[in-house]
Amino acid sequence: MDDRPISVVDTNVLLNLATPVVDGRPAAPTGADPLKALLSSYDVHVPASVVGELSTATGSGDLLSAAADLVLNASHHLTTHDVDAKIDDPLDYGLDQGESDGIWLANDLDAPLFITDEFNSTNYLFVSLALDDRNTLFTTPHVLCKLASQAILPIEYVDAAFSYYADSKQWDEQYLNQLRHKYLRD
Amino acid sequence: MAEEKTRVDFNAPKSIVERADNVAELLDISRTRLLIDALQDELDELVNEEGFRNRLRDAYYDERIDFQTVKSVLGQEEAMRMKLLRASIDREPPEPQLKAELPSDEEFYDGEVPVWRSDSEEPADNEDAESTA
Repeated sequence: MDDRPISVVDTNVLLNLATPVVDGRPAAPTGADPLKALLSSYDVHVPASVVGELSTATGSGDLLSAAADLVLNASHHLTTHDVDAKIDDPLDYGLDQGESDGIWLANDLDAPLFITDEFNSTNYLFVSLALDDRNTLFTTPHVLCKLASQAILPIEYVDAAFSYYADSKQWDEQYLNQLRHKYLRD
Repeated sequence: MAEEKTRVDFNAPKSIVERADNVAELLDISRTRLLIDALQDELDELVNEEGFRNRLRDAYYDERIDFQTVKSVLGQEEAMRMKLLRASIDREPPEPQLKAELPSDEEFYDGEVPVWRSDSEEPADNEDAESTA
């Protein structure tokens, strides 16, 4: 029996985890694979729209496209759900399809973990509001810290990945520093 | 609805007050109006400045300033976002479960791990040079 906790994620989370793995530039952290770490230690579920969004992201030859290729190469580790048929009304919070479907799925599965990267914008508020239990809401960097604290990812790698994300994704650096202090430095 | 007002007294360099009075006279507005407008512009500008927002976030996450202060400066939505995010830091995500070591790339991925490199960081690509020669 699979005793890994159920986790629901949206497209951006998977792409962001794959990005440092496929990024061959010197600025990218090396020596670990956060996508593999997440998919191996959590039971990850996604709405079918996420796979559609990943396929759309491929083929352009850029970094995002390479990240999408990697996620698709690991898609047999994802459990996909056709949620379109089940949703009567889309969630009306100004979120995109993948996010709305993901929140619906997390509520439906009673998932103890919903991961988002939407923490830089007010979308984070909407995701919080839309989840039945907002205590299940965590961000990608927070989950990376958890993986580091369980020695599934090296602490040094997660630390370097935070700097990489702060530079390339403009993630809230003050928030990242709080996580660093709580999980990576103490 | 007119907002409640509070009286402010302060000393300022004489020259700047003179300049302000001259400008106010030209614009046909009161000195007070000019000062309020200038203060409003300065605050709006600061709030949109990334450096200032960073300092404010630091102060809030470090609990040096409270929610009301963030709300009064950045607005309700941004303050709520930071409040929820700060509260989430103290929660623990569910425990990840990994039985053995992480699998190798060959075991885990269906296909190769792609590697992307920026064209501009590659050593001079002589194909372009040849085509333009």
